[in-house]
Amino acid sequence: MPERPAWAAGVAAGLHAAGCRDVVYVPDNPLSHVLAEIGDRYRDVRLALATREEEAVGIAAGLYLGGRRPAVLLQSSGLGNSLNAVTSLVVPYQIPMVIVVSMRGDAGEWNAAQVPMGRAVRPILDAIGITHATIESPADAERLVALTAATAFGRRTMAACLVPRRITSAPAP
Amino acid sequence: MNRLEATRVVVAAAGDAPIVASLGHPAYDLFAAGDRPQNFYTWGSMGMASSIGLGLALAKPEARIFVVDGDGALLMNLGSLATIGLLGPPNLVVVVMDNGAFATTGGQSSPTAHGADLEAAARAMGVDAATARTEDDLRALVSGARRAPLVAVAKVSESAPTVRPPLDCVFIKQRFMAAIGNPESAAHPAGRA
Repeated sequence: MPERPAWAAGVAAGLHAAGCRDVVYVPDNPLSHVLAEIGDRYRDVRLALATREEEAVGIAAGLYLGGRRPAVLLQSSGLGNSLNAVTSLVVPYQIPMVIVVSMRGDAGEWNAAQVPMGRAVRPILDAIGITHATIESPADAERLVALTAATAFGRRTMAACLVPRRITSAPAP
Repeated sequence: MNRLEATRVVVAAAGDAPIVASLGHPAYDLFAAGDRPQNFYTWGSMGMASSIGLGLALAKPEARIFVVDGDGALLMNLGSLATIGLLGPPNLVVVVMDNGAFATTGGQSSPTAHGADLEAAARAMGVDAATARTEDDLRALVSGARRAPLVAVAKVSESAPTVRPPLDCVFIKQRFMAAIGNPESAAHPAGRA
């Protein structure tokens, strides 16, 4: 089994430990490590690809209504795509889910098109009342994802775990 | 057939099965056709009804899941058809109430009034689909004999609903979850102080 970046292995382990067996995603490059780790190591997790981040949130909401503990993986640019479902479905109906946000637009960003939304992620989440926490070191990932899930499913809210570029751009071991 | 008549056909076919309704007039007509705890009324998130239904269908393979969508709403989330085609849940029936208009917002004409074909769109994404113009046609489509996933496009006239479902979103959710066998209280993990 290939060795994956410690942060990605931690995210996958944290989701699994929290009982998430459904992961809905719109891929990006860093998240591909998490998806591969889940696919290799956690065969009891169902991975579902969505065409757009708002759709991913809608599918995750249905999964929760059906008794599951869903997680959504997306890139910060896609958070904007998801906001109508977040604010007019997830928040008012108090539907819990974990979102793992692969950050763009922060330290090390080379693409100007990624910067405005990247800068806006935290203010937007604050404005709509979504709890978020940022992974500060690869060793921190598993615990922070598990805590994010405890927040989400305990308080019946969406809770976000942000993965900054300074974590995801580190070379694989 | 108007949308309320078509919705009554869906409710009768569903029995005790869950029904997810798109916001506005489709949800109002579902309430008018027969309020039941297994109805999940959305009050926002236009376009998400088919995605919510897809998630439910994945979570509850033993249940047949119905979605009452609108033409404008499905057009807002057309990628949902590709995802339904990709995942192919054998228990998901999406009924699109196609009145060719954005009725809830004042009746502005929608693309389906000018040739946009949602049945063809579903087929193109690998989802079996058919169009019903009468109650009998729709009944035959959603009765359960036809293989799912299925998109049933019901060509309907506007029914001008006069009643509305409960406004309390958390009440709608908790009543729904309890009725389909996932009472939320049972799912709540015990926390430590």
